[in-house]
Amino acid sequence: MTTATGTPGSPLHILILDDEPIVCKRLKPAFQKMGYEVETFTDSASALARLHETTFDIVITDLKMEGADGMQVLTGAKESSGTTHVIVITGFATLDTAKESYRKGAFDFVAKPFKLRDILDCVKRIEEKRRDEQAPDAPLTV
Amino acid sequence: MRHGLKHLLAFWRPSTESLPFTVLFKKFQSILERNNRILELMADMGDKLGGEYVFDGHYIEEVSETLGDLVFKLISDFSILNQHQNADLFLAFERIRLAIGEELSGQHILTTGEAVVPLAQLGHELSELAGAKMANLGDIRNRLALSTPGGFVITTPSFFEFLQHNNLLGKARPAAQYWHDQDEEALKHLADEMQQSILTATLPRRLSARILAAFDALAERRQQHNLRVAMRSSAWGEDGCSSFAGQYQSVLNVSRDQVLDAYRQVVASAYSFEAWHYRLYKGYHENETAMAVGCQMMVKGLVSGVIHTYAPHLAAGAMLASAVWGLCAPVVKGIKATDTIVLSRTPPYPLISLAIADKPKQLILAPSGGTEWEDLPEALHQVPCMTPEQMEQLARAAMSIERYYKRPQEIEWTFDLDGTLQILQARPLRYFGEPFAPKQLISDATRRAEIVFAGKGFIAQRGIAVGKVFLVENDADLAAFPHGAILLSRYTSPRYSAIMHKAEGILTDVGSPTGHMATLSREYRVPTIVNTEIATSQLQTGDEITLDATQNIVYRGNIGVLDHFELTEEEVFEDSYEYRLLRRLLKFISPLNLLDPQGEGFAATACRTYHDITRFVHEKAVEELISLSEQRGAQYLSAPKRLTTALPIGLMLIDGGGGTTCAPESRTVMPEQIVSLPLRELLNGMGSLGMWCTEPVAVDLGSFMSSFTRTFSASLASPAEIGRNLVVVLDHYMNINMRLGYHFTIIDAYISEAINDNYIYFRFLGGVTELIRRSRRAAFIAKVLERFDFRVEIHGDLVVGRLKKLSLPRMAERMRMVGGLVGYTRQLDARMHTDKDVNHHAEIFLKAMQSVIGE
Repeated sequence: MTTATGTPGSPLHILILDDEPIVCKRLKPAFQKMGYEVETFTDSASALARLHETTFDIVITDLKMEGADGMQVLTGAKESSGTTHVIVITGFATLDTAKESYRKGAFDFVAKPFKLRDILDCVKRIEEKRRDEQAPDAPLTV
Repeated sequence: MRHGLKHLLAFWRPSTESLPFTVLFKKFQSILERNNRILELMADMGDKLGGEYVFDGHYIEEVSETLGDLVFKLISDFSILNQHQNADLFLAFERIRLAIGEELSGQHILTTGEAVVPLAQLGHELSELAGAKMANLGDIRNRLALSTPGGFVITTPSFFEFLQHNNLLGKARPAAQYWHDQDEEALKHLADEMQQSILTATLPRRLSARILAAFDALAERRQQHNLRVAMRSSAWGEDGCSSFAGQYQSVLNVSRDQVLDAYRQVVASAYSFEAWHYRLYKGYHENETAMAVGCQMMVKGLVSGVIHTYAPHLAAGAMLASAVWGLCAPVVKGIKATDTIVLSRTPPYPLISLAIADKPKQLILAPSGGTEWEDLPEALHQVPCMTPEQMEQLARAAMSIERYYKRPQEIEWTFDLDGTLQILQARPLRYFGEPFAPKQLISDATRRAEIVFAGKGFIAQRGIAVGKVFLVENDADLAAFPHGAILLSRYTSPRYSAIMHKAEGILTDVGSPTGHMATLSREYRVPTIVNTEIATSQLQTGDEITLDATQNIVYRGNIGVLDHFELTEEEVFEDSYEYRLLRRLLKFISPLNLLDPQGEGFAATACRTYHDITRFVHEKAVEELISLSEQRGAQYLSAPKRLTTALPIGLMLIDGGGGTTCAPESRTVMPEQIVSLPLRELLNGMGSLGMWCTEPVAVDLGSFMSSFTRTFSASLASPAEIGRNLVVVLDHYMNINMRLGYHFTIIDAYISEAINDNYIYFRFLGGVTELIRRSRRAAFIAKVLERFDFRVEIHGDLVVGRLKKLSLPRMAERMRMVGGLVGYTRQLDARMHTDKDVNHHAEIFLKAMQSVIGE
């Protein structure tokens, strides 16, 4: 772990992992438009490697992938940093996978296809939650 | 009890081995459910193209499979209902399923295979065949009635035939791997080889003969011995979502003996390194490469140029034209200074600014072929090359094209020697500048605007429309629908597809977002709000409005800033493979070709999409159920219950399950024992407020003679023979066959909380007086039904009214109204002395109905 980007005031740092490039292609510009910093990956090995290098504020990961699956990425992300929030997105949504995701600490579980607005809202909720959590300690800056 | 029920329903399987009615009706219900599900899925898939959703390849595969499964089961259900094998339907299904499967596996499917198609027959629906660019020109010429140089297109099947003939398709395949490995050198080498091979390849003899024959036919038609043509690329995707501007080659001023070489040149340009690189960069797969070639008469241009319909970086609400003397090519290539003309986008498109360039030379057609530069007289060097009239004419045409494609356009044009404006090409203009309308600007503009209504109904297709309202009440209105208007109507109808290409938007009072029309709106991308309930009462023909079908608000007046914001939205998702694939798949799924149930083309063999099959089965299933009860019901009726009522209708009732609370073996049923909602409401309506007009009607001698001499068919036998009127009921369903007075009425209705399954079918026939009076009565019934949102058809004195997909309370109201109508019209034709009586009776009836149903 060499860098930390979760300091207040700096833009949220988001990692997106989905083996279908189209998902990354759609999500990246949408988040960039909101002012977030985005990195995208289409294989879980590179994403996990990146997670070892850097702390991300938010990880958005697909569930069913070759190699390490989304559950492993979820666990990996939570292990590398307790403050990382993970959103699981999947085209094979079942009640069991949803339950397991939450049990392993996922912030939210979103079934594909989803509306851009839904995932943007989800990220906004994380942002608000972080602000609330950080607010008591953070010095007031104007 | 069980035995009793069996006995009761025994008539449904007389001599042949028919299934019990309950089974058949279950199938009918299942058809309704599947129909609904299919329409919803299709609508969802269409919705995905709108850009709000993030979807992936897995979704496309899964939804295609689900949909295919549903359609298959729909046909299977129908086969049980109508007791036929329906081989034609299954074959149609199999063709569609196969095509979808091939698309999913990466094979591109072409539905037609003409080698050469005249421009006069082209439109965007043929873009697979003709390439996007030539298909667009077809629209511009044939739909927008603008001039384009005459000609034809050598189609994409010809491209495949040509390359296949020379074994060149396989040669291109390694490109994807080179791209993946980022080996540009290898790709460059492959591109060179590919182009060389094409330039020296032999054309199949049949193809070259077709091309030359088309050339000769064009020369003959235009009476030009020495015809010269321009050969232009028209590849898949070109001028569609990706502009491919300048990626492919055009060859100008081509004579007959150069045509085949020029064709090879244009085809070869599909494999230039730059074009190939661009395609790969955009994510195009190799199987998506196909080059049609347009072949159009050369136009000797007096003044030519390019116009961008949208140039907000120059001035708000501006468009930009660049113009030179002579041919258009120097403007496109950007190699000569041009006059720069900034015009307003608002009629009458006044000039905002004009910068005149020094224009010492012009490009002209060289007598020997090709083009050459020519010196201009000094007097022309520093004067504007366009007149104000030409500017206005150009602006009008350009805006018309933009409106059609709903994107800013980049248009190449020329004024020919006769002064006619010729459109040479039109492609979407990608605007990559700063977003034109910051949120602040939008909220300012919308805050000041008058809201006609907001939050009413459902958005069927997102988008913004600005234009004048045009109310459509009948087919004549539809035929007169003006270009660029916003369609306003009481109800939705798939018939509106006929004008969707020229409608800016659609607003209806009633209708469902999963209905046929909503699917069509998505297909044509017409911003549409249905079920507003009040649109026709708030708006009238000629009102200018801004229809915001993203926020679900209708504003009075033109809120241009909303419109412009939409024009500049980035839509890169349209360029992705998944998007293109889904759009291609939807071509086998959602277009509706079977529009008119009365038309000859309404046949199983004519089904080309899942939508066609679904529509066909729905229509036929309703017919089947009606004919089942009509033909078999009365004939095999053995032990029905007689309804005990004061109404003189002699009604016999069959309870198919859950329609009444009385015992199956009971021979009578009391009105309060009726559970069936449609029948209860119908009887309520019949018995309401003296609607049952029992006063004796004086039948004059003419009417009497007419009834006396008329030959009755079996179904219209003596009205004295009461006690044979039949109704089949379930809890939410009713099918009634009635002879009352001299009329024969069929009502088939399903009313429940499931809004999409709800319908009332009403058929009215017969009468004792002469035809003219019966026709008046038909007109009266039609008028009343239309007032209550029925879709009505009249054939002589046969009236058919159909109503679908309203909420339970509204359906119930209308059922009561139908009851009242049946009573009121019992002997009405004897009273219909003049045409005025039609309106008179309609008024009386509608007034009386107000208190019955509370409208």
